[in-house]
Amino acid sequence: MSVIIMILVVIVALFAIVSGLWVARALIAAISHNGSLPDTQNNTDEQNNNQDIKS
Amino acid sequence: MHTVFSVAVVVAYVVVLTFVAWRARAAHEFKEFSLARRALPLALVFGSLAATYVGPGFSIAFVGRGFNSGLLFLGIGLAYAVQNILVGLFVAPRLRRLKGCHTLGDAIGQKYNRDCQVLAGVISVCVCTFLAAVMAHAGKVVLSDVFGFPGWSSVIIIVGVTTLYTTFGGLRASVITDAFQFSAFAILLPIMLLFVLIFHLKGGAAVFAAEAIDATSAGFSSTSFIEIIGLVAAFMLGETLIPPYANRALASRTTRISRNGFILAGIFSMAWFMVMVALGISARTIIPAGTAEDFVLLKLVKSVMPAEGYALLLVVVVSIVMSSLDSLLNAGAVAFTQDIVKPFAKVPDNKALTIGRSATIIIAMIAASVVPFVPSIIEGLLICYTIWASAILPALIIGLWIKQPRPLAGILSMGVGIAVAMIAIICLFVFPSLIDVPAIIIPALGAGLLAYVAGHWIAKIREERQICQ
Repeated sequence: MSVIIMILVVIVALFAIVSGLWVARALIAAISHNGSLPDTQNNTDEQNNNQDIKS
Repeated sequence: MHTVFSVAVVVAYVVVLTFVAWRARAAHEFKEFSLARRALPLALVFGSLAATYVGPGFSIAFVGRGFNSGLLFLGIGLAYAVQNILVGLFVAPRLRRLKGCHTLGDAIGQKYNRDCQVLAGVISVCVCTFLAAVMAHAGKVVLSDVFGFPGWSSVIIIVGVTTLYTTFGGLRASVITDAFQFSAFAILLPIMLLFVLIFHLKGGAAVFAAEAIDATSAGFSSTSFIEIIGLVAAFMLGETLIPPYANRALASRTTRISRNGFILAGIFSMAWFMVMVALGISARTIIPAGTAEDFVLLKLVKSVMPAEGYALLLVVVVSIVMSSLDSLLNAGAVAFTQDIVKPFAKVPDNKALTIGRSATIIIAMIAASVVPFVPSIIEGLLICYTIWASAILPALIIGLWIKQPRPLAGILSMGVGIAVAMIAIICLFVFPSLIDVPAIIIPALGAGLLAYVAGHWIAKIREERQICQ
């Protein structure tokens, strides 16, 4: 039982680390585009939301 | 030699953070300041949400609660995770679908009327300010304890640096720096947990399990049933769509990203709470038994990490504070501009941006001055949760779902909710031995809900009478 708890703790720690790496990758991509996020300000809300048909 | 390396680590971190903040660029219009042009991709929505909610309460205080109460707070924290997932599934997409909304107050204004928007704006600004004060208090704890700075100078450093990049960069700077800070603590603190488990936990898995059981039993025996219910209610409802989260829902590129960002943030929070509680449980074999709750993480880091690792982790802990603080300052400023100023005056965009920036600074100053009155991190948070949940949630959630929300219901529920919450908080300070902090959310929320139902019913009867006449 104690070993199972420990394994669970290790798995969630690794999950957190992987999440951090994923966001770090997105951050590097965001700041490498001249510091700007993709510009959708000229899109209407409907144009942006129509990208998902079912929400 | 150790000092040189430690300083180098801190300087390197600050340089990288400054570079990231600079790359986020200054906001040139209010839509950029408030919504980052509605261009946030999933990873940044998720990272920024997680960085905002993983403040000192969900890190420093949770480690302390794990130290004293074992798995009890893990169970309570799961209520928070469930809330995020439910918000992602049922609320955030509805919010994102509303047109032209910069804030929660905007959404409430669209569903009810201008008076409701202004009242929601006032509540949003106040809650953001008080939460910012709790964050500043946590920052003071870290800097004063570790570096021996006087309390007031620690507050000035934390609040000053955060205010600087938030004032000029707005939501985009907040999100980009949040993502950096999230990456740092999401990677480093779990690595530290693994380090403690492998190299410092005397007795291995069996001792860990035994300490978890001991601490959890102690936690349950020292916490009444009504307190547990109150804590679950507070964590389930108290941070639901507070202004920083609502802004991120509104700033998402699409409704799907808004939904998935919240769901992922909820799933991550389960893992995060487990890591924090596990750190607290492991600390029971390493640091003295009577260590005050808010100092457990710092003492644990000092005991197990080499000097350079200690310096880096300290900076990460400060980042945890700043990542929550910047979101609260930005959200409060945007709520002030959009929900309190704009309903009464037509404000051109450049003036709105100036008002937003000024409001950021003023809110930061007020938060810094309130710091001496913050009891502890968790108690400060619970007080803010009580105000937010009782004042805003009935009007917001019901308003997003029903076809014809009545303004009278909105006004009554917000007014009664906040009145009962404030009375309960005053009683808490006047009669501290009679009332528990976690329990006050129940009557306050109940009053807000009843007031909503009453307002809706009264308004409906009035309309029917008018139709008959």
